[in-house]
Amino acid sequence: MQRQTTVMRAVLNSRLFWLIVAAVAIGLMPIIFTDSYWRTNLIVCAINVMLAIGLDFILGYAGQLNLGQSAFYGIGAYVSTLLIMKLGVPFWIAFGCGVLLSGIAGMLLSLFAVRLRGHYLAIASLGFAVITYQILVNWISLTQGPLGIYAIPPPPALQLPGLPIIDFKNLANLFYLTAGFAFLAYLLLDQLVRSPIGETLTAIREDEVSAASLGINCQAWKVFAFAVGSSVAGAAGCFYASFVGTLVPDAFFITESFTILAMVIVGGMGTLIGPVWGAILLTVLPELLRGVGDLRLIIYGVAVTLVVLFMPGGMVQAARFIAAYFRSLLPGRGAGA
Amino acid sequence: MTAAAPTVSGGTQSSRDGAVLFRAQGLHKSFGGVRAVRDISLAIPMGSVFAIIGPNGAGKSTLLNLMSGVYQPDAGKMRLDEIDMIGVPAHRRVRYGLARTFQKIRLFKQLSVLDNVVAGFHTHHNIFAWQYVLHGAAFQRDHARCRDEAMGLLAFVGLEKRAQVLAGSLSYGEQRMLEIARALATGPRLLMVDEPAAGLNAAEVDTLLDRIGVLRQRGITVVVVEHNMDLVMKVADRILVMDYGQYLFEGSPVEVQANPAVIAAYLGADFQ
Amino acid sequence: MLSVLLQQGINGIVVGSLYVLVALGLTLIYGVLVQINFAHADIVTLGAFAAYFFTFVLGGNYLASIAVALVVGAALGWLMNALIFAPLRNRGNELLPLIATIGVSIMLQNTMLAWFGPIPFAFDTPYSNDVIRVAGMFFTIQSVLIIVVSTATIGLLYAFMKFTFLGKALRAVSQDRETAGLMGINPNQLIMLTFVIASALAGMGGAMLGPVLVLTPFAGTSVIVKAFAIVIIGGFGNVEGTIIAGLLVGLIESYTTQFLDPGLIDIVVFALLLLTLALRPTGLIAEKREENV
Repeated sequence: MQRQTTVMRAVLNSRLFWLIVAAVAIGLMPIIFTDSYWRTNLIVCAINVMLAIGLDFILGYAGQLNLGQSAFYGIGAYVSTLLIMKLGVPFWIAFGCGVLLSGIAGMLLSLFAVRLRGHYLAIASLGFAVITYQILVNWISLTQGPLGIYAIPPPPALQLPGLPIIDFKNLANLFYLTAGFAFLAYLLLDQLVRSPIGETLTAIREDEVSAASLGINCQAWKVFAFAVGSSVAGAAGCFYASFVGTLVPDAFFITESFTILAMVIVGGMGTLIGPVWGAILLTVLPELLRGVGDLRLIIYGVAVTLVVLFMPGGMVQAARFIAAYFRSLLPGRGAGA
Repeated sequence: MTAAAPTVSGGTQSSRDGAVLFRAQGLHKSFGGVRAVRDISLAIPMGSVFAIIGPNGAGKSTLLNLMSGVYQPDAGKMRLDEIDMIGVPAHRRVRYGLARTFQKIRLFKQLSVLDNVVAGFHTHHNIFAWQYVLHGAAFQRDHARCRDEAMGLLAFVGLEKRAQVLAGSLSYGEQRMLEIARALATGPRLLMVDEPAAGLNAAEVDTLLDRIGVLRQRGITVVVVEHNMDLVMKVADRILVMDYGQYLFEGSPVEVQANPAVIAAYLGADFQ
Repeated sequence: MLSVLLQQGINGIVVGSLYVLVALGLTLIYGVLVQINFAHADIVTLGAFAAYFFTFVLGGNYLASIAVALVVGAALGWLMNALIFAPLRNRGNELLPLIATIGVSIMLQNTMLAWFGPIPFAFDTPYSNDVIRVAGMFFTIQSVLIIVVSTATIGLLYAFMKFTFLGKALRAVSQDRETAGLMGINPNQLIMLTFVIASALAGMGGAMLGPVLVLTPFAGTSVIVKAFAIVIIGGFGNVEGTIIAGLLVGLIESYTTQFLDPGLIDIVVFALLLLTLALRPTGLIAEKREENV
């Protein structure tokens, strides 16, 4: 009995176990949800997960309030789409360029803002998002402005040796592609935050003067955090464009930044798994409440405010409370634990 | 001491005993018209405990901030072991062997005590860049080494039993000792401690003095900024006395105690 | 040509003086708390709607509606501090209050959207169509009113800060928080007072902006985004800098509309903002504040 529980505990604490659970869950989703409405929502979930963990790397770990995530998202979407539609560049090369350019935009913004602390950065990044949005609206010869770009093709079918052709016009396959990328992005960020880079970024978040006294080049590491976080948002943008098939600037208005922020805060900033849950919850919940009118953004606003006031650790903190409560109920582990 | 041998490795004992490790000449720093540091020069012998004392507001902390690179001086020269320090940012100076603590404690309060010290190993991870993403055997070795060395440093300051609690939950005295452990993790040649005894009780002060003595034996040069003269007399080899941002006197503890100008400054300050 | 330049210049100053009212609130709050109230935008919008409903639904006088908006703004400021900023003080994370106010802002905007709908309200005051003609230029009485009221308000605020004990205390707190305690002032009350004043300015700014802007639930956002740019260009916590920068942004807006394209206003303003940040991170008119290490 005792032995059994310790084995169980070890399994539950192992990261590999949870990664396998997540992979299996991703695999099962399109099998459980067969209608195109929910499959569409699943893809939106995967895209939002990427946006949220990208922001969390910048905000939750490096402590930089980035309100420009919508701009990086938009840059990824527009760069890849324009390359595909105007120059006929193959999808995956356009994808790479979109990711790269969003990352470079993130680096440039943080280089601009690198000497600024806390609130100045928030406003500078907001300004960046406003400018990017206005450029998308006003540069009509390139982006077709508010009219938008239509008939963007889905990613080309994948022909792997020995396998049947994987066609991404099929929503289930498209979900596997985006969710697979979200999974990879999560793994990448998780590895980074579990390495000494995680400690370095948290040190900067907690106290920059102190971090510098330990030899940490705060400016360089902030640029790094921005580059990584904005590249992930750029990748999300590429998938968004090829999934929706239309691009209008309004999809990348600053409200989108606030939406992504809400996902990070509600899930729990400073952990990677929190924003994943936050993104899923805030994507699915409004769909479940559709009968009540368009309450989506009101829910986001209320959720962010209440979470910051009463549970700044978000869903992760709530889960820990609940786990601690149940643990205290387990026999024989009450007082000693 | 009985504590497990901590890996205070940075102090490469110099062959040139009595050589100068840190030298400053004619440092000036003003803030909006207030001249916080005026024409300060000093030479810190390698392997010594060098104290900077003076009444409150004498410019001691500003001088330390100039030495550690938090501020850049308006004028003057600074050298660490013949390396020019002017214009070198704070984080670069750490790589040359300068470390410091803060008068107003600046720990990472939301991190555990152990993680605070581990963050101090920032400049000492010797793994390839790709290992940050794909954690191989070298990564695991580095990880284990940092944890072990951090525990050693915590033992050195008597905090090994508190390794897992949040730094913010430590007592005031413990937080001061943790700042020292964290600074030592950078492997300094020159450790600068800013008002280390402020807020400590008598027993904690004794431990502190003892630890400073041990560091000196291990070849680490220590700069102590203090306004408490009695404490400084017990550990310092040389003392620089400042008043109103200016040089007042420099000498051995005995000379300082006998100097009429110093006594006047201190009496004046104490009875105001 | 010269009269066009002058005409647009005066239009710019009219709008700019309203931006100053809104931006001054942000700067005052930043001065005492080193925090930003993102929902300041929605106080502007709610002030505008309060004035609108007072004038058109209750049939009140437009001048009185400015006072109503001022009171509504003050009340909202009091609530913002009591419900959001005060509970989050001393939480050790300087970003939390800002994030919470983003939440409040999203909530308020979308609640207004659900209530008032997205269609702009036609907010014509009795003075919007009365035109006077001076030296070949046209002004509405409304713009004269805006200039008079905002100049008087800014002047009063300036006198309050310079000459009254409370005003001096406010400046003392923004310079150094510990000094205020020594002056025998309860910092919490001072912060509350700041929020009330700042938000009252935003509310009355809204009442006068309502007729100028397209009045929708999102009207405040376009103003606040420029107000952010203004406080950064002028230097956070710097009253004189904010006034100059506010008028500057008003002029830029007016001339951009005339000579370039109204769609480019945000781009020009924020390009100036980013340029300011790149060259002088503490604002064109620098604030001098050394960090206490």
